[in-house]
Amino acid sequence: MASDIMLTLLFLGAALVIYYLAPSRIRWGILLAASLIFYASASVWMLLLTGISACWSWFAGGRIEEIHIEKGKRGWLLLGILPLLGVLFVFKYFNFFSASVASLLALAGLPADPLVLKLMLPLGISYYTFKMISYLADIYLGKRSSEPYVGYYVTYVLFFPQILSGPIERSEGFLEQLHRGLYYDSGLFAEGIQRIILGLFKKMVIANRLGGYVDTIFASPGDYPGLAAVMAAFFYSFQLYCDFSGYSDIAIGMGELLGIRSRQNFRCPYFARNIRDFWNRWHISLSSWLRDYVYISLGGSRVSKAKRGRNVLLTFLASGLWHGDNWTFVAWGGIHGVWNLFCRKKRAEAAGPVRVLRQTLATFCGVTLGWVFFRAESLSAAVFYLRRAVFGFSLSVTDIQNSILPFTGDNTCAAYFLTVCLFLLLLFLYEWGQVYGKGRDKEFSLSGIWMTVMGLSVALFGVFGASGFLYAQF
Amino acid sequence: MKHIGKILAGVLFAVLLLTGIKNEYARLLPVSSYGMQAAVKKKSVDHLFIGSSMFRQGLSIDVLEEMLEGEVYILSYNGNQPAFMAMELEYMLKEGLEIGTLYVDLYPYTAAAAPWISDTKILLDTDLSFKLDAWKLMNVYNDTKLLDFYELFVTANNEQILTYPIHNRLVSAQFRNGGNILTPGGQTKEHLDSLGMLGGRDGLQEAQVEGYKKILELAREHGVKVYFIETPKYERMYRDADYMELYEACRNKMEELTEADVYNAEVILAEELAFDFGDAACFQDLIHLSTEGRTLYTKLLCEKLEELRAE
Repeated sequence: MASDIMLTLLFLGAALVIYYLAPSRIRWGILLAASLIFYASASVWMLLLTGISACWSWFAGGRIEEIHIEKGKRGWLLLGILPLLGVLFVFKYFNFFSASVASLLALAGLPADPLVLKLMLPLGISYYTFKMISYLADIYLGKRSSEPYVGYYVTYVLFFPQILSGPIERSEGFLEQLHRGLYYDSGLFAEGIQRIILGLFKKMVIANRLGGYVDTIFASPGDYPGLAAVMAAFFYSFQLYCDFSGYSDIAIGMGELLGIRSRQNFRCPYFARNIRDFWNRWHISLSSWLRDYVYISLGGSRVSKAKRGRNVLLTFLASGLWHGDNWTFVAWGGIHGVWNLFCRKKRAEAAGPVRVLRQTLATFCGVTLGWVFFRAESLSAAVFYLRRAVFGFSLSVTDIQNSILPFTGDNTCAAYFLTVCLFLLLLFLYEWGQVYGKGRDKEFSLSGIWMTVMGLSVALFGVFGASGFLYAQF
Repeated sequence: MKHIGKILAGVLFAVLLLTGIKNEYARLLPVSSYGMQAAVKKKSVDHLFIGSSMFRQGLSIDVLEEMLEGEVYILSYNGNQPAFMAMELEYMLKEGLEIGTLYVDLYPYTAAAAPWISDTKILLDTDLSFKLDAWKLMNVYNDTKLLDFYELFVTANNEQILTYPIHNRLVSAQFRNGGNILTPGGQTKEHLDSLGMLGGRDGLQEAQVEGYKKILELAREHGVKVYFIETPKYERMYRDADYMELYEACRNKMEELTEADVYNAEVILAEELAFDFGDAACFQDLIHLSTEGRTLYTKLLCEKLEELRAE
């Protein structure tokens, strides 16, 4: 159930009926029960592990607040955080670490087989671990008080719409809403439906449609023309964005149907005019988390230039590593870190449309280059892919045909390719309106026309077979 | 909320309406140079070939038009199965198509598969009642799901319809009278030897055998001579135990069916022709012919047909 969006929406539908039939004072309990059932549908053992982690962090949060001595506070902070990071390390990074050590030993002439743990990655571990760490850190920093009710806290950690791929919601806003009480708000409910439609459009119509093509080309770039490699790289940029931001929209929308507001996780990132701007728009809940708990903890920007550079690099390397146990993610983080260092902080300036277009396109192309490392199986595969894209590139009729053919492998490929382009154009027009048009002053808006167009597109052009989410693997 | 509700209801209504229109009337879109509608538009065809990609890649329209007298048309859909070939034949006859001689693809793998429409172009070429009959047939032999129904009736072919003016022009340029005019090259022996085999299947499918019978019945009713034709496969296929098991079963079944005097039918197997099954240049892969193979095979087939007619 957890990996299938349509089943998740059906589950939400059933939960909503019970939720709004119940008195408002016990709705949080229904949310908790629904979240526990949802998580247990993936694995009961994982639920046990996650439940223990949540209860431990809740207990540690209480101790941090109770103790007034700085040393004791810090001790409990570490006692709270280290087991969480330990679990994350064992499940997500141990094999990577072990393989890397084995490779280093082999380089030193001491070959050894890496120790491999065959463990299933707990659902949403990267997301809920960061939620719990931010809760503990906020109490330590005096930004919030500890949560008195463990039930509320576990509901926050396991909140089922956001467990799979975030957003990494901060405890403050979420728990405050639980304390205020969960009521039906027709405006919020309507916004929730709109967000879900937008999310389904991005995910089902665009991301799922691009997935097959991208997978085919990335699996064996040498078998296709350089043009196909270039196309697949750009299509992967769109696939990743539509997949992840589509899920975020659906998750936020589902929360709104339940009466819970969440912060926006994406703000049209491919309209960014430089890399800093991009990171203010892409996966905002993670980038703001890293800024608040890594970058600022390291000293932030109020240090020497060299140290600031180090802080930026370390933050982006952490971001890369958060995404997965592969050097490709570290390289991706490194590319963004270095790019950020060389990106001058600019004042808000008025610029002509040509300049805006140039800056936007340059940023998009740079980000796409980074995604090649993000998507590739290994660093050598990424380098091979880029070489293929550059040195194998031509615009001959045969290469164009052979670059479009992998969409379906038969004579419907042109129709499929044109349809993808049309839907990307639709998304562009919608987002352009959000950035430069009528929607620019609003956090979110989807007019009746857009709702109709996107709703029809989902129903008639949705690709429902492939419903997994790319970011669920992180 | 009321506003949103109205929009959602409107979207649902529009989806139902568009889906209904598509399933009944999409066949009326300007015809292509391939598929059932293009055949029906001809009203009369002297030589109609019905098959799968075996016919699409294995028969040269140039050679057929040169060596056979009268109008020739090749109706091919990817993975076209006997059960659906029978339905297609029935549909075209019902639409008034007159057929001189009928040639049916004999490919053991499609005869051993559970009925399923693997080429959605079939849906684009037919009316709603054809689709409902096809769905009923698939439902009997498969564990069909709601998602399958949704994909076949709601989302199938929408990309082609949305981009029809461009898509139809591009694809139609690849065909003439249903025959593929693209010229794919051959392979090397090393490449063909490196390809994986297609695996085994559990004997002939009842529905597909019924399909062959129905084709024979329809041909008899309309006084049409039928040839069941096997296109050549690469020599490795004839050394594969799984394939040969199906091949023998298919061959025996066709002999049994065509033996009955009531039917005017014959089988032409590839082995009856002087075709070099080991010449890699004649093949695109293990089962599809290259341009060179297609031309050579079609010439041999036409000669064989002439020989049979002379007898």
